[in-house]
Amino acid sequence: MGRTARALLIVAPIAAGTAVVAAKRRSGRSPSPRRTHVVTVHRPLSEIPGSLEELAKSVEISLAPAPGDRGTEISVRIPEGSPVTDAEVRRALRETRSLVEVGDVLLPSGPPTTEKTPLNRPLRTATEHGREGGLL
Amino acid sequence: MKALQWQGVNKLAVGTVPDPGLRNPGDVIVKVTRTVTCGSDLHLIGGYIPFMEKGDVLGHEFLGEVVEVGPDVKRHRVGDRVVVSSFISCGRCWYCDQELYSLCDNGNTNPAITETLWGYAPGGCFGYSHAMGGNAGSHAEYIRVPFADVGAFTVPDEVSDERALFASDSASTGWMGADLGGVKPGDVVAVWGAGAVGQMAARAAVLLGAERVIVIDRLGNRLDQVAKHIGAETLDYERADVAAELRERSGGRGPDVCIEAVGMEAHSPGAHFGYDQIKQQLRLQTDRPIAVREAIHACRKGGSVFVLGVYAGFVDKFPLGALMNKGLTVRGAQMHGQRYIPMLLERMAKGELTTEHLATHVMPLDQAPEGYRIFKEKEDNCVRAVFVP
Repeated sequence: MGRTARALLIVAPIAAGTAVVAAKRRSGRSPSPRRTHVVTVHRPLSEIPGSLEELAKSVEISLAPAPGDRGTEISVRIPEGSPVTDAEVRRALRETRSLVEVGDVLLPSGPPTTEKTPLNRPLRTATEHGREGGLL
Repeated sequence: MKALQWQGVNKLAVGTVPDPGLRNPGDVIVKVTRTVTCGSDLHLIGGYIPFMEKGDVLGHEFLGEVVEVGPDVKRHRVGDRVVVSSFISCGRCWYCDQELYSLCDNGNTNPAITETLWGYAPGGCFGYSHAMGGNAGSHAEYIRVPFADVGAFTVPDEVSDERALFASDSASTGWMGADLGGVKPGDVVAVWGAGAVGQMAARAAVLLGAERVIVIDRLGNRLDQVAKHIGAETLDYERADVAAELRERSGGRGPDVCIEAVGMEAHSPGAHFGYDQIKQQLRLQTDRPIAVREAIHACRKGGSVFVLGVYAGFVDKFPLGALMNKGLTVRGAQMHGQRYIPMLLERMAKGELTTEHLATHVMPLDQAPEGYRIFKEKEDNCVRAVFVP
């Protein structure tokens, strides 16, 4: 493999990881007051407990039955001036869904087998906040 | 414990890592007795899927013995001989309820990466990068298995380790391609790729009643295995015009179901291979979709194309016109192993589904880097290298 190809193999992961982290940071830094985060939990409305407790005082939460027996839609809107970030809401919604459906939140493998390198720093940063980013 | 670790692009080494521990109450720890290479691992090793960290443990297709059980586990106990689905699924979300287990909402601890890439995140997978949860893989002496009541299956006494191993991924994946591709009695089915997954897809098509099943590859030893062990016809794409042959063998109609079991590093004798290779190496496209293009073009009007090969991102020259104007149904998926493994183990016990021939090379885990080299280069007629920790 030539030098150019090797360089591309190294650059591509960094670029990809950076893009993920950048997207996450953007969303964490400047939450839109009109942004509503929604998940559907595969349980009927009657089985949804008073979850999202930590955030409940700072966000607007609404519950509605999902169509087609798909469960319950949980919507969270962050009001103007709320200290809560999109990242916190994403994590809370994902963990709430897992707690309601499974009774537990899956933890990553452990103890870790990897070592920190400059090349994998962007990826490590992304995975440290794996439930906070994304599009939810 | 010993484990095979990714140390960088095209660098593998057996190292010493901490033993895995129970992390959730539904976990078990499995002592790995057989673990096998997969063509999709080569995408990770070669840097085509850029979400690996130095030290990650590879491997997702395995079998072993339960040695530790979490407090919420009900179906397993210490001493059980189990084969484990390569995808990690909770069994309780809407997707698991629909038996679309690889799409589980709760099985991937890093959903942000794939959600950003693909719109929504699939479930987690063992040893398949941090995009799929960063779970430690099976090329090790021990492995933690989350949601064990859902993803680990006790192997019947009549089924050997050597046979049951491939229920973990290859046979499940192949069966899914034929099942969700809609294979029916009387169909003509074409399968691109005579590796383990392609062979298993072809065998599934045979068992589901297809009239003719044709497997396409360029490697003589793999095509010989298809003829001998699978009961399907073969087609060497370096010696024949594939589209013309398929037309001829299907009465001019084209195959009813086309199953692609090749993936993002496809080969071809044509000029388009060079084109795709250059674009992929320059990262102008992430995948080489040669077999997918061919399958879509060859498929009969109104037919079905199922993509089993692993793809990461974006491709060039996708034949959208053929897809639309011929009224095709195109589907794909990572494997829904939990849906198929119990049935596959029953068929293995009856002798309907045999897999031992796929394990052309069996070696200690210490030799895993060499095993992957032989597997990648297809040296010595290697189909799959199996490691015994």
